Amino acid sequence: MDEFKEMISFSIRAIFVENILLAYFLGMCSYLAISKKVSTAFGLGIAVIFVLFITTPANWMIHEFLLRPGALIWTGVPSLAAMDFSFLNFICFIAVIAAMVQIVEMVIDKTSPTLYASLGIFLPLITVNCAILGTSLFMVEREYGIIQSTVFGTSSGIGFFLAIVSMASIRHKLRYSNIPEGLRGLGITMLTTGLIAMAFMAFSGM
Amino acid sequence: MSEPLFSAKSKKVFTDPFSENNPITIQVLGICSALAVTAQLKPSLVMGLAVIAVVGGSNVIISLLRNLIPNKVRIIIEMVVVATLVILVDQLLKAYAYDVSKQLSVFVGLIITNCIVLGRLEAFAMGNKPWASLLDGLGNGLGYAWVLAIIGFLRELLGSGSIMGHDVIGKLYHAGYVNNGLMVLAPGAFILLGLLIWVQRTLSKYVED
Amino acid sequence: MPKHNNPYTLVFVCIVATICALLLSTAASFLREKQEANSAYDVKLNILKSFAVLPEKATRAEVEHFFINNIEGITVDATGNEVNGSAEDIDPEFEAKTKAPEDRLYPVYILRENDARIAYTIPIIGKGLWSKLYGYLSLNSDFNTIRGITFYKHGETPGLGAEIAAEWFQKNFQGKKILDESGEFVSVSVVKGKADNFYDEPKISHYVDGISGATITSRGVTAMLKKDLNNYLPFFAQKRVNYSGD
Repeated sequence: MDEFKEMISFSIRAIFVENILLAYFLGMCSYLAISKKVSTAFGLGIAVIFVLFITTPANWMIHEFLLRPGALIWTGVPSLAAMDFSFLNFICFIAVIAAMVQIVEMVIDKTSPTLYASLGIFLPLITVNCAILGTSLFMVEREYGIIQSTVFGTSSGIGFFLAIVSMASIRHKLRYSNIPEGLRGLGITMLTTGLIAMAFMAFSGM
Repeated sequence: MSEPLFSAKSKKVFTDPFSENNPITIQVLGICSALAVTAQLKPSLVMGLAVIAVVGGSNVIISLLRNLIPNKVRIIIEMVVVATLVILVDQLLKAYAYDVSKQLSVFVGLIITNCIVLGRLEAFAMGNKPWASLLDGLGNGLGYAWVLAIIGFLRELLGSGSIMGHDVIGKLYHAGYVNNGLMVLAPGAFILLGLLIWVQRTLSKYVED
Repeated sequence: MPKHNNPYTLVFVCIVATICALLLSTAASFLREKQEANSAYDVKLNILKSFAVLPEKATRAEVEHFFINNIEGITVDATGNEVNGSAEDIDPEFEAKTKAPEDRLYPVYILRENDARIAYTIPIIGKGLWSKLYGYLSLNSDFNTIRGITFYKHGETPGLGAEIAAEWFQKNFQGKKILDESGEFVSVSVVKGKADNFYDEPKISHYVDGISGATITSRGVTAMLKKDLNNYLPFFAQKRVNYSGD
């Protein structure tokens, strides 16, 4: 029970206080580019949650059983068990992400054409979303277990979803405001993001 | 082919990204990994150098291979080349700049998904000769690096009262000056970048509709 | 753009992958020695930092030299007896993961000055908010007063939890006591807010100021100190007897 409670608070921290986007700046490119309309922001957010939910545990297994120092111990070959392939982390993770995104795309296409149509071009774009690779790298850096990794991945996705949807709604309103010329677009979006980030930080200490 | 090495055209390719076509403030690329390391000046500078090396290197390699790469697997090949260069940079940092590599931690790896790199490969290196691609890569890397350096400088100065780890405020603390803790945190970076973009766009007269 | 057929594509991808793999493994094996030397040096540097004996701007050679001449590494077992083996060979994390507390070996680094043992450092490892925290805690030879503390590896939030690596936080620990007046082990705890708002003499010597906004990291530091110091208590007790006899 205690563990369950800890997971809940861990997940809340990953969603709000340590929001992958607002505290670690990951996934900014798509966040800035796709937050112009609420409906598309919504679609991208859902897709990111989904991909993170799948790739984080998948990368965890690759790291645990193939790459980390001493990972190959299960093969029973001593010379393999002594190897350290962790320098291949980056390249393997990005390959897994690209492959997973492709598979997810095909599965969604087969099973739910409506969802596929609404996600559209965003699915392939997720491969180069820093939030996805970043989550996998953080998971290794912070030495999470499999359950923690899954919870962390999913929560990061939810955090990204919340941030991008709220930004899209704010930008919708901003369109009718009188903003100084140089500040229009990216400038005001950055300032607003700063304010949202501050609001999310109010959850720290929970 | 008889074009001189430093013709007006190649000069423009090199210097454009400094202001008129800056990857961060105008093209809105590569902000992801840019802000997280800028709480201090030193990691910002190293990160800038790492990105310059990766963009320049991958631009040249892809440009050399541009007629050989099958179109179908273009993106995958680009990713493999970029990832290889990034791992090299990471390994070199671990061997020769251990302190900084500890501070940068996962953010070196995130250069792989830095949109500037893939963006330049797709937009420039796939259709241009190696020399022009090298200039384009270096120019974009530098354009990225100077924004990083300015933000790193301001955040460290205002947030921790130091530059490159050396205390510069010193006596002012006795006069009641306090470091602005917000600058070290994420919102400070967003707001500083927002203001920087405002200044830069006003100077270069760029208006987004 | 020329057309490429499937076999060409396949061969091309294989060639690129092979070249990249070769390049990376060469670089990795070539640089490994240097990287390992770096992380070994980092350990030494931080042990010296916890002793607070490091002159400012010491060069790498000076640090290595000082370490060889003045630091002695020993290994103790769970009952506090010294056993054979050098401290550098013991990975406390590996010990904790694979063995029961009573079977583990514990490294201790000792600072010597003119042949006298004047301070003792032990590794501390624990969980913060996000990451594992790694550090060293140094005690004076009364095995009660804290001489210094360092955290050298962590993945906490910059500006919040990462403040554990800041000088002001680490300075707070200096001079604190791990034993109460009757000699019972109470460890040192990080409070929420300013310690002197909550505790007076003599209790204040077991509490240090917390980091605002980093409650969980602070709690982690408290827990790791208690856990790791506890493992060394038999060793401390043994040495303390000898010490008072001096």
